[in-house]
Amino acid sequence: MKAILTKFNWFGLAGGATTIVVIAVSLFCPWWQLTVGDDLLKVNASPVNTNFGFLDTTFTIPFIWALNIVSILTLLASGIAMLIYSIIPRKSYSKHLLGFGYKKPLFTVLFFVIGLLVITLILQAVLSINVPLMGSTTSTLPIPFVSGITLSVLLSAAFQWSFWLAVVAAGLCIAARLYHRKVAPAPSATTVT
Amino acid sequence: MDKVRLLLSLITIAIIVVPIVGMLLAYQNNLLGLFIPPEINEIADDLMGGDGTNGSGLEPPTMVGEPQYNETSRTFSVTFQYKNSFPFDITIKSLSGNIKCDEHGFPLGNASLSKPVSIDAGKTAKLTVLGTWTEEAISHFETGHEGEEFVDVVLVDFAVDVSGIQIQLDQSQMEQSMQVPNPAYKG
Repeated sequence: MKAILTKFNWFGLAGGATTIVVIAVSLFCPWWQLTVGDDLLKVNASPVNTNFGFLDTTFTIPFIWALNIVSILTLLASGIAMLIYSIIPRKSYSKHLLGFGYKKPLFTVLFFVIGLLVITLILQAVLSINVPLMGSTTSTLPIPFVSGITLSVLLSAAFQWSFWLAVVAAGLCIAARLYHRKVAPAPSATTVT
Repeated sequence: MDKVRLLLSLITIAIIVVPIVGMLLAYQNNLLGLFIPPEINEIADDLMGGDGTNGSGLEPPTMVGEPQYNETSRTFSVTFQYKNSFPFDITIKSLSGNIKCDEHGFPLGNASLSKPVSIDAGKTAKLTVLGTWTEEAISHFETGHEGEEFVDVVLVDFAVDVSGIQIQLDQSQMEQSMQVPNPAYKG
């Protein structure tokens, strides 16, 4: 039983598979969604697919799209590396595959959250627009060169289930790194007398 | 082992560099287009231009029919016709304002939309605004507008909620004038 448990890195298998599932899911389901007004404007954000919807028009920003491609390839490479490593965790090059793969889902989640935080802080500081990360708020929009008009919009934002799936994938990959010690313990030093 | 490490490092670099450099090359003659897609300009044109008569996309509402007055409840109703000149459907969820006597500037009461109205793009719909006179307003009609069948009033401090966007206009931006039946008129 112990041999089966330590033959593969099960956390790595689960982490690699979940990472690839996260890519597929995130193409259609954003990690974080912001709605302006009554579905007037929607921001669907994820490292894999970020787009904006104004009523029936959906568009992407080319530079963000390039970053999305970077994320897709990064997560895909990470998932594949984790799967290969998990099946053959004791090979000499396996630790390199693990080192290559296990941090990327975590960094993707961290960079995404930090990016959202920075963007909301910039909007608050520069344009005085209060964008919530989670929940709803009514924000007053500035109208330059016009006095006597106040424009307020209801902003609703929430992290979607695909974000939490990505967090799970990152957690499984970290667990795989910790479990690696049991699967492929470092060779103990022999003492020659 | 070193070859594996080198290969993985090269993959990491290629994954980051190739898409970004590729996109920069694709947009080398239009770097602004990297950050502002053409759809944003189209949306801005739709919002700012519209088909409105004043070029702002906003069509002022026009009053239709005669205002109705209910003596017992001191309420009146006025119906407006509004054309949605935007290229998208809108829902006017609420509309409110204060009513002042046009001649004396006396505050008479407030008015609000009777029920939310959805208007398809380019279509026209009727909005019914309900107002209530205060007791002081009735006294003002009796003293200040004795013998007048209709009184000119203005809707000020106008606030409207269109599809979740709340717009508040103070007196310097909008005064909607209308004629209402004088509740103190005895005929």
